[in-house]
Amino acid sequence: MTQTTAPVRPQSDRNRTDTDPGPSSRGARRLRPPRARRLGMHVASVAALLLLWWLVTRAGLVRPLYLPSPGAVWDAFVRANSDHPIAAGSDRIVRGEQNYYLWEHLVASLQRIAIGVGAAVAVGIPLGLLMGTTWLGTLLEPYLNFLRSLPPLAYIGLLIVWFGIGDTSKIWLLFLAAFPPIAMSTISGIRGVHQDQVNAVLSLGASRRQVLTAVVLPATLPEILTGIRVATGFAWTTVVAAEIANGIPGIGGLAYLAGEQLQSALVIACIVVIGLAAILLDLGLKNLEKVLVPWRGKA
Amino acid sequence: MKSRPTRTAAALAAVTLSMSLAGCVESGRSSTTSAPDTDCPWKPDESVTTEARIAWQAVPNGDAVVKDLGLLEACMPNADISWVQAAAGGDVVKYYGSDDVDLGLMGSAPATIASSEPVVEDVDLSVVWIHDVIGDAESLIVKDPTITDISGLKGKKVAVPFSSTAHYSLLQALADAGMDATRDVEVINLEPEKMPGAWQGDQIDAAWVWDPVQSQLLEDGGERILSSADTAEAGRPTFDVGTASQEFAEGNPEFMTQWTKAQDYAVRMIKDDPAAAAESVAVVLGIDPADAEKQFGGLTFLTAEEQAGPDYLGGQLTEDLFTTAGFLLEQGEIEAVGTESDYADHVDPGPAKAAANG
Repeated sequence: MTQTTAPVRPQSDRNRTDTDPGPSSRGARRLRPPRARRLGMHVASVAALLLLWWLVTRAGLVRPLYLPSPGAVWDAFVRANSDHPIAAGSDRIVRGEQNYYLWEHLVASLQRIAIGVGAAVAVGIPLGLLMGTTWLGTLLEPYLNFLRSLPPLAYIGLLIVWFGIGDTSKIWLLFLAAFPPIAMSTISGIRGVHQDQVNAVLSLGASRRQVLTAVVLPATLPEILTGIRVATGFAWTTVVAAEIANGIPGIGGLAYLAGEQLQSALVIACIVVIGLAAILLDLGLKNLEKVLVPWRGKA
Repeated sequence: MKSRPTRTAAALAAVTLSMSLAGCVESGRSSTTSAPDTDCPWKPDESVTTEARIAWQAVPNGDAVVKDLGLLEACMPNADISWVQAAAGGDVVKYYGSDDVDLGLMGSAPATIASSEPVVEDVDLSVVWIHDVIGDAESLIVKDPTITDISGLKGKKVAVPFSSTAHYSLLQALADAGMDATRDVEVINLEPEKMPGAWQGDQIDAAWVWDPVQSQLLEDGGERILSSADTAEAGRPTFDVGTASQEFAEGNPEFMTQWTKAQDYAVRMIKDDPAAAAESVAVVLGIDPADAEKQFGGLTFLTAEEQAGPDYLGGQLTEDLFTTAGFLLEQGEIEAVGTESDYADHVDPGPAKAAANG
């Protein structure tokens, strides 16, 4: 009887290439500029920052030990990724820094965080589900809060005593850093499940397990994915703490070692790489969210 | 807007790429590019199949040369040798405590801590080698050019990394000058890399420290007024020593023989061909070979024959550890000083004697 036709989107909306809620906010004020303009803004701000940095070091306002020039940082970055002689005119060639290229250090750290966050997801989500739906929640929540507030640098020493100086202690640290946000976001997601949806599926004859898989899990997925994003970001910031002892190969370990040797240019190069990796990880998880939860914000 | 299958395919591709990349990094790769094929300078011992985990530190001495040239790996081809870097002697003691290493390099101060209460209950090591006697490598650098003497530091702030050989030398020097380390000067605990910043901000007046920070402070207008060479002459020497867990040393005498032979070879190389040794040290420490050669000048190296005698491993070292313990007790770093024979239990001249004779 009623005909539903897709409303014609006005010219201005058609220029938008990013995902937006669609016709329902057609009348809303434009909240985000188009992608091209956003990219331009980012490029311009980075260029301005680099220019300011270069000017400060060129004018000699800060000592090179404290702030090396962008050129020195770039040189350190290139040297860390190549086979180079240990000194000008020497025959002896060394590979990268500490016998690994910079990208190999980065990959080693990413391996550790993948295992740590993976374990946190595998343990955190089921535990969060249990805590959100049973009496375990009231019992364990203060312990979870306690764990969440511990600074990783404080207990890395303890972990090394318990698990040794190999990868195990590092992965444990990353796990303990990533686990509380995931568990807590799962709990909060479960608390946000619409009772009507649960009742609706129950009235259709669903078993308890089916309620879980058909309603509760998909409904909590958005919150869980946000929790994973937060957890990964936080765990990545602890990568330097985790790699303080015997951290080679590892980008955090290299940054720490370079700092001890007063090689500021290499430290800054490592910091930039750590920051860029964090941004890319976050982007990747955001895109994962768009793939797994396309209904977010549209329901 | 990309369709869902394309997005999922992209995600899968990213995951596969990252997993294949992950395979490229082998965690166990040794920390130096293998020096051009080293042959063992003597006949390799193929019967040794020990698994040895060695803790090393970034110190410009024979241990770094042994590591870089792969002497142990060349002379004991069937042994399983792994190296782990420690930031300080205290860390090496910790690694012994958690049973993560069998051999390690540390200063004489951490070695004394490991041989005294309470640490001696968890750790049972013995000093088997003296890598070097610390001289100008650790020295007191002051900021004010008018101060020429340690007594001029009355009322000033001196930074030093606690529980290190530098700390011990500073306390000895203060005591010898008749000053009270708790009242006449303010001694603060600072990690070496944090000193240039504090120096720049006029937050410290002096520091007793080693390279590369020592050279950095000298460049910043500091003056060296005392060094560990002076305190050594005053009868308070400090050393970098090679240690091994007693259990390991007793159970693997052939390994220890080869190890000490390699260390002796490295010491002779530093004395006879410093340029070549400096190159190896430079690779391991990540510095310039010229700097490495300069740093050799701040240390005294002893051959196996010199060490095995009564002046060092054969007797005097035990006394030095005992005196060190007395000062560490005052600083609260240990709980009790053992008897001299307790410390003698932790010094073993056996391997050095075997290398000197063999």
